[in-house]
Amino acid sequence: MSSDYARRHLRVGWWALLVFATLGLVLESLQGFKVAAYLDVSNETRRLMWRLAHAHGTLLGVVNILFALTLRTSAPSTPPGLARISAALVAATFLLPIGFFAGGIVFYGGDPGVGVLLVPAGAILLLLALYWTARGVR
Amino acid sequence: MMRPFTGVRNTENLVVSAVALGAAAVLAGGAFARADRRTPERAVTNRPVQAPAGGYASSDTCRACHPGQYASWHGSYHRTMTQLATPDTVATSFDGVTVDAVAGEPIHLEQRGRELWAEFADPDAAGVGVGSDPTLTPLTPNRITRQVVMTTGSHNQQIYWYATGNSRVLGQLPAIWLTSERAWIPRRAAIMSPPGAHASETGAWNGVCVACHTTNGQPRLDAPFGSTPAPAIAANTRAAEFGIACEACHGPGEAHARANRNPARRYALHFQPGARDDTIVQPERLDPLRASQVCGQCHSFWEFADPQAERRANADGLPYRPGDDLAATRFIAQPTRNLDTPIMRAFLAADPGFVRDIFWSDGMIRATGREYNALIDSPCFKNAADPSRTMTCFSCHTMHKPDDDPRSIGDWADDQLSPRAIDGRSCAGCHTMADDHSHHAAGSPGRTCENCHMPYTTYGLLKTIRSHQISSPSVQATLATGRPDACSLCHLDKTLAWTAATLDAWYGTPRPALGDDEQTVAASVLWLLKGDAGQRAIVAQAMGWPAAQRAAGSAWLTPYLALTERDQYDAVRLIAARARRTLPPFRREALPRGSAQLLLTPAGTFDTSRVNRLVRERNNRRLVYRE
Repeated sequence: MSSDYARRHLRVGWWALLVFATLGLVLESLQGFKVAAYLDVSNETRRLMWRLAHAHGTLLGVVNILFALTLRTSAPSTPPGLARISAALVAATFLLPIGFFAGGIVFYGGDPGVGVLLVPAGAILLLLALYWTARGVR
Repeated sequence: MMRPFTGVRNTENLVVSAVALGAAAVLAGGAFARADRRTPERAVTNRPVQAPAGGYASSDTCRACHPGQYASWHGSYHRTMTQLATPDTVATSFDGVTVDAVAGEPIHLEQRGRELWAEFADPDAAGVGVGSDPTLTPLTPNRITRQVVMTTGSHNQQIYWYATGNSRVLGQLPAIWLTSERAWIPRRAAIMSPPGAHASETGAWNGVCVACHTTNGQPRLDAPFGSTPAPAIAANTRAAEFGIACEACHGPGEAHARANRNPARRYALHFQPGARDDTIVQPERLDPLRASQVCGQCHSFWEFADPQAERRANADGLPYRPGDDLAATRFIAQPTRNLDTPIMRAFLAADPGFVRDIFWSDGMIRATGREYNALIDSPCFKNAADPSRTMTCFSCHTMHKPDDDPRSIGDWADDQLSPRAIDGRSCAGCHTMADDHSHHAAGSPGRTCENCHMPYTTYGLLKTIRSHQISSPSVQATLATGRPDACSLCHLDKTLAWTAATLDAWYGTPRPALGDDEQTVAASVLWLLKGDAGQRAIVAQAMGWPAAQRAAGSAWLTPYLALTERDQYDAVRLIAARARRTLPPFRREALPRGSAQLLLTPAGTFDTSRVNRLVRERNNRRLVYRE
């Protein structure tokens, strides 16, 4: 059973890595071609939000892969609460970077757009998943 | 209890990670400490300090929420009007440089690490400042070595202030740096003042400059500026921020920043179209008078209404805050409105040049930096009944470069013109003119509103700028005031009679009676030869204007500018030299020989009898611009 979760997180992790590494390439292109909508000082909030989306998405992809590897190396049987941890981690993997990205699409001076409200929800789920995972490690 | 995982023992890894994190933190802290070696402001004792108080928060606070506005302000010259002097902020090198701008009084500049130092003749010592005036006997000056601690100015010139060693009182280096010329000149040459007029500027930053070159400056002199000799003054001068920062125009921002730490409040404002945050002032939303007074707090000619007001400002800074009625706390000198008032009479009794040296005789301002005075006497302001169609400073200028403005920050910062002012939309918003209104060809300089209605008749900072009092060309006004008219500043080779006839033919403007000279000699030549120093400066600069050179021909300008380079006023000489550099090399054969109105003989020489007569008739009254 835990191997199912491991496969799930491997898939999520590698796809997240692909998507958000690609976002990094897009951002580098915006930088390289000096696109004003990304680089102008008045778009500083957008730049910050999208960079955070790239960084968080990529990092969370790695976390998913590590989680899957942890499951494979340490869990011979189905651990209790794994479904809850897995759901929280997957949700965080989407909510955090998407929240940051959406917050940079429309923004108000130094304030990101309302999409950024997804970020605290994702952060809470991530912290819960990390806490439950840490507690489960022996 | 959820313990799902087994077999992982990470104690060693945790220890390694903790050690690595600790090492990184130590390294980062060390780097931070090295980078921030500057003496904290509270520990500085030899110069004025920045100490936000009284509700001021500083531009650093504004930056977090308003990055775009912060950036355009940061790129503006308002920010750099006062800076701490460092190798990065001075416009020229101080590294082992000797400045010979002041004859016989060299200034040795030196860079010691990040500090700038100068060795020079003490401006407060007897005999110093004589310079090149041969009528005065130079004494052996006391030479002093002082740290240069602050700068004022930016795109036109940079002035350097040194720590006198007396409390926070600053002195001014005897030479200043001209940015466009990339040259040092004597400080006194930068001011339109007659030869020999010289006074120490020690304490001037603390007592005068601080009002408009900082945000919420507080002089804190122990005696009114000018009441005691400079070395006897002590000062504890401070400002909320050096330079003209966000809060100079928007008012103190601490309460605004505090209120908007609440994200719910911020987003509530974001989602209410047209919502106004009453914790801060938006100058463009004020009524036209109050909006313009925000700029007018510095860009006007004002004085304290009474000694008490000056004492209060000395201790606490000027009481005006954006949105207030500026006239409630200051006396705005405006001869068209308050010439015959007790307070104006008192100023005139103390200084007969109080009005004469800064206004034309009809009350139009003639000195740069007083644009508010010009605005409020403009018909577009004083005759406007509809606030939405009333000209304000913001009709043409913007303090923050719009995102869709393709100009660079540097291009925009020169005069902070709004894009709508560049393509004429500012005027077109109210005025619809017939296509042939200007009688000038499309695309020519004479076609633009500002070249006819805002001619370069205001002087300051060694150049002329456009009059900010909107007016129409009038030979009658020119005769009455001596103020050069727009036509003559472009058509430099034409007489006032020609201008009067043209205005009559085009617009039906009555022709005034003209004297013989006005009928036969080019107006520019008359002003250059017999005008006062201000008129001479205006014409000399016009002779360097490419549009005027195209309209009037440039071959004859060199002799006149060469003549003007011998003017008794440093400022006029400098402008003439600058104008001459814009001309092609002089060729005598290209001169319009025999041009009577240019006072040129058929031999290609000056008509010396008429030239000499006009020079003898020159208006030689001492002129000291209050720039």
